[in-house]
Amino acid sequence: MSKKTINIPLGSQHISLLEPIRFKFTCENETIVGIDSDVGFVHRGVEKACSSKFKFDAIPYVVARICGLCAITHSLSYTMAVESLLDGEVTQRAQYLRVLMVELDRIHSHMLCLSHVSENAGFEAMFMRIMGDRESVMDLQEALSGNRVQFDYVSIGGVNRDIQSDVASKVKETLSELRKKVEGYIEEFENNWSLSLRYKGIGALSKEEAYSYNAIGPLARASGIITDVRSESTALPYNDIGFEIVTKEDGDIYARNMVRLYEMLNSITMCENIIDSMPEGEIFTKLKGKPEGEIITRLEAPRGELMYYVKGSKKPILDRVRIKTPTFSSIPAFMHIFEGEEYANAPAILASFDPCMSCTAK
Amino acid sequence: MKKIEVTLKNVVNVIREFYKPTKHHFLTLNGLAIDEQTTEIQWIFSEYAKTDEIIVFYVDVKEDDVIPSIVEIIPSAIISQREIVDMFGLKVEDSQSGLYLDEDSLAKPLSFGCAI
Repeated sequence: MSKKTINIPLGSQHISLLEPIRFKFTCENETIVGIDSDVGFVHRGVEKACSSKFKFDAIPYVVARICGLCAITHSLSYTMAVESLLDGEVTQRAQYLRVLMVELDRIHSHMLCLSHVSENAGFEAMFMRIMGDRESVMDLQEALSGNRVQFDYVSIGGVNRDIQSDVASKVKETLSELRKKVEGYIEEFENNWSLSLRYKGIGALSKEEAYSYNAIGPLARASGIITDVRSESTALPYNDIGFEIVTKEDGDIYARNMVRLYEMLNSITMCENIIDSMPEGEIFTKLKGKPEGEIITRLEAPRGELMYYVKGSKKPILDRVRIKTPTFSSIPAFMHIFEGEEYANAPAILASFDPCMSCTAK
Repeated sequence: MKKIEVTLKNVVNVIREFYKPTKHHFLTLNGLAIDEQTTEIQWIFSEYAKTDEIIVFYVDVKEDDVIPSIVEIIPSAIISQREIVDMFGLKVEDSQSGLYLDEDSLAKPLSFGCAI
């Protein structure tokens, strides 16, 4: 068969991708041989706003608006940076509540990704099943923070709401039910041909490539790299609540699905441990002064490492807030994986990356 | 956070000597507008499986300087380099503009004194 070169755009609006990113694939017959991307469709200038318009104590609520899915990791990462610059201590109870929200966020974010992966396999019933179950986690977030998404839960010095005993019971009850459902998903993703056989060996990133392209989060762990900010930072009490790193070796769509599924189980365990061992005490400490100096904080968001660089010089407006989001780091690895794949696999591979362009363009 | 000052001339060699792909993780390239003439450029790294370890190589650059590319050593750095071009209006070797900003966008929004 003769070779025919064609350019095929995917996005910025595409049925399989609910994110404003555009890829331009160059294909030889069905095989992708070249790729270009455009990520700036929703650039909002948040970094500029944080160092010109907003005072440092308002920024936790500004950066929470970067992303609907991982709002809590944005506001927490920024808040931890400012607390360090103010030399402030946050109570253990506030830290536990923060981690509880971060892990609930991870659970429902992974569920969103897995539902889209199922949809791309043509398994619409699984998509609906996971999205239906995800509502229970959103309800927990609302009970804890007052909002389903973009919660203004974290503030400099602690959190804005304590957990009530009835909400704590609801968290445990709901997560106990969810654990059984996640175990059911694992069985489906391991044994159902649409989700297992279809995805084994597709969109693979080897361990060497993952190192070379600085892969992060579930993408790196599915390729066998033992990296997770939860174990590489002592800022949050992950060592005390049963965190376990999940890795796989094959680096394909199937492995990425499995990493996310087992991470959900570990997040459920951590949330249960947090409720069982919640320290007594205040949820908020008033911190005085204005930030001075520069600092970098990192947090493991659902898609991988989120980094904040903050620099202040004892003024209400900061000198610089730099936000490095997980998807932004992963784009070069995405583009590398596409090369040599069949174009028909591109939507499924993309869904397995779980990209967030709202974070990336910020 | 450990900061190490480099020069535009030696930064590529310093990073080449320092960076071990299975040991170090490149986080990003960062810019910090110091004054109208000067921007601090930072190459930020962490170390796998090491707690709270952040290493930053930095250099002060002027408007006309060309920042060398480290893509040959770290392919994924291209996206951070392109972001610096858009946001600060600086020149980075092998890195074109247009990643985030369109032609009719506010130019170099993170440069010193750029008002919105």
